[in-house]
Amino acid sequence: MSFISAENIKYSYESEEHNKKTVLNGVNLKIEKGEFVALLGHNGCGKSTMAKHLNAMVLPEEGVIYVDRMDTRDEELTYEIRRNVGLVFQNPDNQLVASIVEEDVAFGPENLGIEPDEIRKRVDNAMKAVGIYDLRHSAPHKLSGGQKQRVAIAGILAMEPSCIVLDEPTAMLDPKGRDEVLSSIQELNKKGITILLITHYMDEAVLADRVVVMDKGSILTEGTPQEVFSQVALLKKHGLDVPQATELAYKLMGAGVKVDKMPLNEAQCVDLLLEVLK
Amino acid sequence: MSILEVKNLTYTYSAGSPFEKTAVKDISLSVEKGEIIGIIGHTGSGKSTFVRMLNGLTKPTSGQVLIEGNDIWEKPKEIRKIRFKVGMVFQYPEYQLFEETVYKDISFGPANMGKTQEEIDKAVKMAAKFTGVSNELLDKSPFDLSGGEKRRAAIAGVIAMDPDVVIFDEPTAGLDPLGRELLLSQIVQYHKERNNTILLVSHSMEDIASIADRIIVLNHSELVMFDTPKVVFSKVEQLEEMGLRVPQITKIMLALKEKGYDISDGILTVEQAFYELVDLLKKEGKL
Repeated sequence: MSFISAENIKYSYESEEHNKKTVLNGVNLKIEKGEFVALLGHNGCGKSTMAKHLNAMVLPEEGVIYVDRMDTRDEELTYEIRRNVGLVFQNPDNQLVASIVEEDVAFGPENLGIEPDEIRKRVDNAMKAVGIYDLRHSAPHKLSGGQKQRVAIAGILAMEPSCIVLDEPTAMLDPKGRDEVLSSIQELNKKGITILLITHYMDEAVLADRVVVMDKGSILTEGTPQEVFSQVALLKKHGLDVPQATELAYKLMGAGVKVDKMPLNEAQCVDLLLEVLK
Repeated sequence: MSILEVKNLTYTYSAGSPFEKTAVKDISLSVEKGEIIGIIGHTGSGKSTFVRMLNGLTKPTSGQVLIEGNDIWEKPKEIRKIRFKVGMVFQYPEYQLFEETVYKDISFGPANMGKTQEEIDKAVKMAAKFTGVSNELLDKSPFDLSGGEKRRAAIAGVIAMDPDVVIFDEPTAGLDPLGRELLLSQIVQYHKERNNTILLVSHSMEDIASIADRIIVLNHSELVMFDTPKVVFSKVEQLEEMGLRVPQITKIMLALKEKGYDISDGILTVEQAFYELVDLLKKEGKL
């Protein structure tokens, strides 16, 4: 069985006027251990609701989710599931609780009732893993957005989860902050942590092993970044974007230029253009 | 005469204490009526403090802010009037909705300006039109709206005051690609019809590249560039050193140029790049 296995998940919210609004309409999603998956879709497509299902913050109305073979509906397993799957949200300011960076990172493991020596070790390791060790005695509110977001990630890491779900972690960051957070995510993935990254930035999604696109509560398409972003027309039709490099190649194809393989980033696009111009 | 001018504008936090920090340092520049100005800079570069001084929310430690040639702090008691002239749309403005209905929320600004009921109604309708807030939404509670609708309603609340200068602080943060595009085109449309002046703070270089006439670049509290997107985004290394980037498309075209191909400077959008390449391919007989 896959590390995360969601089968036919249905979920709806009760709105003010008491009519039900379906958010997830039979989602099937499998994520293997150690995979880096990007989840795309426009606002309101159900991405965040899906993310909250992965650590039992929200339970499915219909269908079932297994996290490392644990059924999220089983209350006795909730604690273990949440230790295993950590969530990082968009706004770093809403996720920091302590007045010193290292205390903030220690908050999670302290709540797990771990021995102080072990906490010290985990906190140090977590801070080093995301490159904020030098900031350990700083006050979180004095950090930049990218640094704060990495403190939030370190706080999750210190609980030694096997999977981290990040819901638009870079939406509020400047370009440098985005780069810092993304390279941290890639580093952690190299160390074997399973990553689910929800994002509106296509240049982030191309870094993943696999891209899953959601639309209106179901999965529209999925595959490698190459497979997904080659479907420019489908993505555009559903209000989604492709990287600028891909869009340029797509337009050139329309004008009669031969493109064998869609470029996903700057370097690939430059190579393609040099080839065409040769 | 320029609509907005700042002279030696400086702001220092906690002056005289050990925590003293200069957030904005000696900035002088002027903006002409009808321009769209982009403002970029890393987190903590002073962007927010800078724009807060432009509508009198923060009082400069030294230096001046002139609107149509008048110092906004000349009569401190009338600073509120400046805020009707220079409207500010904050980051995540949807969290600032508070009224019972969307209509009331949008009318809050014009009502505070002392307008008549008829004028208020006109202002609300005008603002709703520009931001795509439909009539049926006007009677709803703002809290029943979707995220995107809330943001547009909040922006309508500022536009309803019909300010001469509108400052948008990260208006597209958190929106999906379609939402970004829609909001940006609404801002451009609004700007075209009212011929007012727009200042846009953003971390999205693509957004700025696509709509700004000129760009203010702040770095460590100082003004380092104030020029057209073409010029600003040609300084790739300098921007990257400041923690900023140039749009992907600009970089791709610069790389081709460096390889010796005849490419114009400062390609900022995919559209421009496409036409440039089609011309080039035709010239080279490849198309």
